Amino acid sequence: MNEILTQEKSIYIQIKEMIEQDILRDILLEEERVPSTNELARLYAINPATAAKGVNLLVDEGILYKKRGIGMFVAEGAREKIRARRKKNFYQDYVKSLLAEAGSLGITKKELIEMIAEDREYDE
Amino acid sequence: MMSKLTAKGISKVYNGKEVLHEVDLELESGKIYGLIGRNGAGKTTLLSMLTAQNPVTRGSVTLDGKPMWENPEALEGVCFSRELNPVSPNGANTMKVKEYLRVAATFLPHWDREMAQRLAGEFGLDVGKRISKLSKGMMSMVTIVVALASKARFTFLDEPAAGLDVVAREKFYRILMEEYLDTGRTFVVSTHIIEEASDIFEEVIILDKGKLLLKENTQELLERSYHVSGHTEEVERAVSGKKVYHEETMGRSRGVTLLLQPGEELRPGYDVSIQHPSLQKLFVALCGEEAD
Repeated sequence: MNEILTQEKSIYIQIKEMIEQDILRDILLEEERVPSTNELARLYAINPATAAKGVNLLVDEGILYKKRGIGMFVAEGAREKIRARRKKNFYQDYVKSLLAEAGSLGITKKELIEMIAEDREYDE
Repeated sequence: MMSKLTAKGISKVYNGKEVLHEVDLELESGKIYGLIGRNGAGKTTLLSMLTAQNPVTRGSVTLDGKPMWENPEALEGVCFSRELNPVSPNGANTMKVKEYLRVAATFLPHWDREMAQRLAGEFGLDVGKRISKLSKGMMSMVTIVVALASKARFTFLDEPAAGLDVVAREKFYRILMEEYLDTGRTFVVSTHIIEEASDIFEEVIILDKGKLLLKENTQELLERSYHVSGHTEEVERAVSGKKVYHEETMGRSRGVTLLLQPGEELRPGYDVSIQHPSLQKLFVALCGEEAD
């Protein structure tokens, strides 16, 4: 929730991703109220309609839900849902670009696999 | 030739109140410096003392070792183009723009008359108008024309971008950069419009409540400044033992701004977001605390 907004991406996308990140990091727990669009607007000095656009994307995905008259809440199973979606997109979002860069540098698939296999920081 | 303008321990006291406190500053020739600080931080006072338009209460200002005060030889190397405003006390307001430029020419030994005319034309300044009848933006343009046409080796501009619209500001930065590239003159530019100007400053000077907070290469400063955010406990672990300049907390979430010292590193392996703040964000983190 306390990241700096950048110019590189649409603000509402950044709002959405920040809330997701906070759910993954147990900053926002399931069945807990999330900051209202007005609170987000105040925190980042952005228009509340922009904040609402990001929040509503999460409602559409079933990650947040609205309790009438009280506010937005983190849905049960939200954490798993975000992880599942990010996993599903991992190939498209990360592996593809990794391969493209490796290709342009002439790194072979074999070399790439060796690099990953030898990395000590990533151990399951 | 390498040239240096040096301020040593300069302080200024107005009516018993110290507005500038023991500032040490060394300006090298051939650089563009940005001077930033909040309202009342002492920027204009500093600029006027560096150019000996205003006596220091304590300390000294020298150009290549020669004292600046009442020394025509040193003074010819500097120009401080003051901000004009509708209540300027120096009688400038009753003058027409062309009269103001003529007066400037008599004070500035290296004055480039042709350049002054060309710049006035580029900015669309009506030189027949009285200063007092100009808009805020037009007044800024007059001060810019004086500064650039002065051809002084060390040129100081106080809030040149104030009141200029975005097109005029872009034009100003472009003209400033052209002049800098052509001549290698030194410029010190104070501004509140930090974000758009930060790319042209080789070094940034931050003044806070009359004190010099830092003077540093802009890119190096940005590279050692970090914003770390995430779960409060995780952020605390990630930055423990480091000096935190600003922190914001919301529920379990926390964001902190820090400046790493040489040799210092952020320890890896924490589930936190790490970003570099912009110069503007960093400035707010360093100087944004309300005066107590």
